[in-house]
Amino acid sequence: MSDLVNKVAEILNAPVDLVQRSAEARAAASGISVDDVLSSWAGGESVAASAETAPEKEAPVQEVVEEAPVEEVIEETVEDTTTEVVEVAEPQEVVEEVVEEIVELKNESALSFISGVLLVGLFTFLFAFVIPKNQATDIVSDSLNNSVSASNEVIKGAEVYAELNCQSCHTQNVRTLIPDTQNGKILKNKFANETLINNVGNIRLGPDLSTSATREPTNNSQWLTRYLSDSTSVNRDIPHPSYGFLDDDDLEYLITYLLSLGESNE
Amino acid sequence: MKIKLFPKNEQELSKLFVLIFPLTLLLSLTISFLKNAYFTFANLLPNNSVFNYGFLDRLDTQAALGLVFGASLCLSFSYLFSKSLGRSMVLFPIVFLTLLGVVGTEFLDILVNFFFQNTAYDLGNSSLLILLKILVVFGLFGLASINLLAKKEASIFASAQFLYGAVVFYLISLFIVRAELNVFSDIFLVNSLYTGTHIYVGVAFIYMAIVHFLMTRPLQAVLFNKTLSSITFWGFLFLLPWTNFKYYYGSVLPNWIENISIYLSMSLVVPLLAFLVNYIKTIQSKEVDGVGSLNLLNFSVILFSITTIFHMISSFENLLPILGITNFVNVITYGLIGSLVLATISLSYYLIPKLYGREVNYSRLEDIIFFGFKISYLLLLINNTVLGVNSGYSWNAGANAGNPTIYGEGYGIVWSLISINFSVNTFISLLLLGSGFLYLISVLRAVSSGSITTVEEMVYSNE
Repeated sequence: MSDLVNKVAEILNAPVDLVQRSAEARAAASGISVDDVLSSWAGGESVAASAETAPEKEAPVQEVVEEAPVEEVIEETVEDTTTEVVEVAEPQEVVEEVVEEIVELKNESALSFISGVLLVGLFTFLFAFVIPKNQATDIVSDSLNNSVSASNEVIKGAEVYAELNCQSCHTQNVRTLIPDTQNGKILKNKFANETLINNVGNIRLGPDLSTSATREPTNNSQWLTRYLSDSTSVNRDIPHPSYGFLDDDDLEYLITYLLSLGESNE
Repeated sequence: MKIKLFPKNEQELSKLFVLIFPLTLLLSLTISFLKNAYFTFANLLPNNSVFNYGFLDRLDTQAALGLVFGASLCLSFSYLFSKSLGRSMVLFPIVFLTLLGVVGTEFLDILVNFFFQNTAYDLGNSSLLILLKILVVFGLFGLASINLLAKKEASIFASAQFLYGAVVFYLISLFIVRAELNVFSDIFLVNSLYTGTHIYVGVAFIYMAIVHFLMTRPLQAVLFNKTLSSITFWGFLFLLPWTNFKYYYGSVLPNWIENISIYLSMSLVVPLLAFLVNYIKTIQSKEVDGVGSLNLLNFSVILFSITTIFHMISSFENLLPILGITNFVNVITYGLIGSLVLATISLSYYLIPKLYGREVNYSRLEDIIFFGFKISYLLLLINNTVLGVNSGYSWNAGANAGNPTIYGEGYGIVWSLISINFSVNTFISLLLLGSGFLYLISVLRAVSSGSITTVEEMVYSNE
């Protein structure tokens, strides 16, 4: 082995130690034995070939370092990073939304909310009910001829009327259409018994009864008895409940009440 | 199916009301059908003290506006209130008894009217039953306030806000009913404000509470804007109680209250728009399909919007004398009740898997139910609008023609024009009754034989 090193050192005109270390390094790098390296260097051409091969082997490494793909990889990485930044931006938006949520979930005082609702409730009760109610009562109190009188029989009849829920179809306050008002009355704001007030009705499906005692045939007690006991005996076309199940007293009270619905109430 | 009569937590309580609601709805729809049948066929059907239009109309009002309203309030309160506050309810046993009391007193109201007709109360009367109702609802108001004060969540969620508003105005409506009637205008004041507080605010706010829940959590959607939700809440709370006075335009009510009612009714456009924008934008952000009955919820929003638009349209001064005191006024009530019923049905279908651990199989039966309810309420709205406008014009025309409609003969002309609408009403109520019956069957089928799924445990820590 030492002869070979010396021979190579002579050929290459290099110090023996340097040739030895170079051969070892080459052998380690190439994965071959030191003798093979020295033999190839001793052969001249082989050494040159090896010397050429070595740069060839190194070239790819240089290419990898120098070539664009490496830069492209770097650029791509940069682009990817940019893309990731964009992609990250969406979570950032989500984060912003979450921030809004957090703002939304700020500590709200239950006490102030409850107070607010109760204040609106109190306001409504006062201004939409208590005040107009008192106002209407005061106006009537100050006016003349301000009450509606009714006998006990009429009141009992009014109670029967309320129990049968006649006011679910009949009003006692004609609609405010101009032609309608010529034919009936709009109730004046008078004091009256609670049951009488209750019977005024809110929805008008059947004829208005506010002046029913002033016109034919509803001013006739016999006709009313017949009609209320069996409506079909008078008119089959218009559906009206029959109150044949009422006892005689209740029917009489009811008719008395209906006959009181005239000008006296106006 | 395991239901405890004495529930120990919100979950068991909600399970109870999921079953109670379809029963109350069926009862209400049965009475409503009978009422309409006795209006259209009064001369053909057997008649007695129970089976006549006047009596059935009163029962119908109590069943729809009392019992169904109460059952819906209890169902949404028992489930949504604790969810919204993020904790189990304070004084739960009393909450349970109070909610049972709400449904119980409303049911008792119907029973008293049914069995003791001669002693039954009328609007404006003060009876023991109303005092009992006030006591129960006052208790509910107190418990809701305590629970709100003890909330765990930082924010007060929209559902809890709306439920609280509904309870407060339900209580106010009961105080109004007890008012003494001294002069004739009092009945219009009582009736208007009772309608405004109990029906308009009460029904609308329970509906809103359910919608605000169903459009967010089950769909994993985020409420689009809390400010819009606040505008909806405070806007409707302030405006709705005033909106019924306008229908008595020209009557003995003070003029200023009628005028205010007109302007405030038109202002309903603000909370309505806030609600619609919030709903649409929130639904758009949904992550999952969530509720199988979502289309029912969507339809209820359409129904609610139409109803509110009717509120606004009917505020025009030249329309009021025609629309007021006619069936048109009922359209608003039908629309609100319809929206509430649809939303509560949607909620109950959402809750069955969560509470009972049973999947709802959305089969042909459910499709029929949804279609039945949707088409019925839409028809009810259209038909009664036509009925109201038609009768209003014909009263006018009859009077102009010299054949006053306050006379029987004149009414004959009106009846010939509107009788078809009443017949249609009867048909619609039959459709509703059928849908209600199928809904009960569907709920019972789901809770008893639906495929098993994971139960959502409503476990809260109050610490």
